Amino acid sequence: MFLTRSEYDRGVNTFSPEGRLFQVEYAIEAIKLGSTAIGICTSEGVVLAVEKRITSPLMEPTTIEKIVEVDKHIGCAVSGLMADSRTMIDRARIECQNHWFVYNENISIESCAQGVSNLAIQFGDSDDDGAAMSRPFGVAILFAGIDEKGPQLYHMDPSGTFVQFDAKAIGSGSEGAQQSLQEVYHRSMTLEEATTAALTILKQVMEEKLNSANVEVMTMTPKDFFHMFTKDQVEESLKGMEKIEPEHQRSSLESGYKKSPSIM
Amino acid sequence: MMMQTEMNAYYPDYSTAPIQRQINPYADNGGSVVAIAGNDFVVVGADTRLSSGFSIYTRNQNKLFPMSDTTVLGCAGCWCDTLTLTRILKSRMQMYQQEHNKQMSTTACAQMLSTMLYYKRFFPYYISNILVGLDNEGKGCVYSYDPIGHCEKATYRAGGSAGALLQPLLDNQIGQKNLVKPSSEDLSQEKALAILKDVFIAAAERDIYTGDSVLINIITKDGTKVETFELRKD
Amino acid sequence: MSILAYNGGAMVAMKGENCVAIAADRRFGIQAQTVATNFEKVFEMGPHLFVGLPGLATDTQTVMEKLRFRKNLYELKENRRISPKVFAAMISNMLYEKRFGPFFVEPVVAGLMPGTFEPYICNMDLIGCINQPTDFVVGGTASAQLYGMCEALWEPNLGPDDLFETISQALMNAFDRDAISGWGATVYIIEKDKVTVKNLKTRMD
Repeated sequence: MFLTRSEYDRGVNTFSPEGRLFQVEYAIEAIKLGSTAIGICTSEGVVLAVEKRITSPLMEPTTIEKIVEVDKHIGCAVSGLMADSRTMIDRARIECQNHWFVYNENISIESCAQGVSNLAIQFGDSDDDGAAMSRPFGVAILFAGIDEKGPQLYHMDPSGTFVQFDAKAIGSGSEGAQQSLQEVYHRSMTLEEATTAALTILKQVMEEKLNSANVEVMTMTPKDFFHMFTKDQVEESLKGMEKIEPEHQRSSLESGYKKSPSIM
Repeated sequence: MMMQTEMNAYYPDYSTAPIQRQINPYADNGGSVVAIAGNDFVVVGADTRLSSGFSIYTRNQNKLFPMSDTTVLGCAGCWCDTLTLTRILKSRMQMYQQEHNKQMSTTACAQMLSTMLYYKRFFPYYISNILVGLDNEGKGCVYSYDPIGHCEKATYRAGGSAGALLQPLLDNQIGQKNLVKPSSEDLSQEKALAILKDVFIAAAERDIYTGDSVLINIITKDGTKVETFELRKD
Repeated sequence: MSILAYNGGAMVAMKGENCVAIAADRRFGIQAQTVATNFEKVFEMGPHLFVGLPGLATDTQTVMEKLRFRKNLYELKENRRISPKVFAAMISNMLYEKRFGPFFVEPVVAGLMPGTFEPYICNMDLIGCINQPTDFVVGGTASAQLYGMCEALWEPNLGPDDLFETISQALMNAFDRDAISGWGATVYIIEKDKVTVKNLKTRMD
């Protein structure tokens, strides 16, 4: 009776005979359709850079928010289903405030990720009013933050698995970007170098030409904590990048995925 | 003709009104706690008498509860509430350790205690709590609470049944209040310990709920040292 | 709230070596509201005799007048000074007359016995139960605080200067921890050949 795997890819509560949860795996596939986001962790701080897909000239670019402040000391970059990401960011913010309320201290980045992970694996559960979360979240998140251990970067996928990284790329261009990160990353990187590297790599994997409207940059430092780059600051960084690396040819790594309007 | 209520006054057995009974869920088991913080230490003492009204349950009850390597909680008031609160606190400390992979700091513990007490705002733990420890910089600190979670950071505090007697004494001897020329010297551990013992002698003299002996915890970066000191037992 | 704590006030008396001291705060308030800071609660009843009347302010004044009346009558009848001990007995008797409708004061007596100049202190409750300890007595809304202070600071055979310092420190630090007493203090040091009155500057909050 076990004909194809499609028998098992409907319910989120059922393992396949090979021990797989297809819906979760599909969700992990789904995040590869999202826009590219890059995070680099240095000893000076963490930088997050994300691409914003401006699908229409009539779109107001500033309303696409892919890097968000979760607490003063934690920022997140998201890729995938934006609507889902709002729910997760809400939970992350609640975790931070609750920790501050109970313990009067900043939550660690790991604990914040753990809190969001607990939400991410609640698919299939039904709560008191009987409503169930019908599917896993289609979101990948980068957590950038400063805690007592210093600057840290965590990545989480739709299965709720979270791992610490020195540098990580998510979204449609992640495969190529991750490769490039591995090449350029070194432990003694300055934050400025990291910002330039993140933008350079982003530029390589993006379809559109990189400009100050279709990219968001955020730095997380022990001194200033969450700092979102202004349009001017982004332009300055882009200029700095071009100086170091004059107009690269467009990388062939970019993805050819079809974009659904809800996945950005 | 006799009215219904009048009759009930004479014949309570024949009353048809429901009989209302009440129990008092709280007991006051007395006890005093005194804490003094210095630059690199903190001393906390609690008497060891556990009593109820005019009778003494035991002359040898520890009222200091180590919460971590650098944090100790002193409790006075309703003993059953103390037992419950400290057990919940200890389990919360362990859960924190396991969730966040680190030992809870004194400041975090202080805030947590406040929220735990406020959580029972309308059926409070009837306890005078004084939490002491070393902060993240290794400096001694004292936090005192009311039963519903009001928390105040201080460098010295007296609480419990003899709190009112002892607090002005600490104000004078440690806070250097009302002195013409207060000394600018830092408080030494020896002086703090000597004052702590003196104030308990004074308390045992006038407060019947305080006496028998004092159990003292001296917390430094090297750990917690325990001392005892005899008081009058009448 | 007890009627005894309606106006607030702190009172303490101490024995020293051939001297006694009595001290009180100067606040007059109505519950939490301070009305005046020059209210006297200690009254001279003879060359070596002082009485302090902490409690309900109206009774402080009434009892003081009644005591003065009875003391004057005693001194006229007996044609001699009243001794602190007799005076205390007289207060006790007067208060007990009102056993079931008492004056809300807890008197403190301090003085030197005539002839011997032996220090005498006592206090009593509002219905006249006398307490005559060998060291110190306290009264008023800051009594718990005063007990703690006195128990630690007082020692036997203090000279007049040391006694002044001790009683002042005891009183000031005690009423600083009581919301309804303070706002200045008066200290009387009673010696064989002189009585020193000092008004203390204290924190006024």
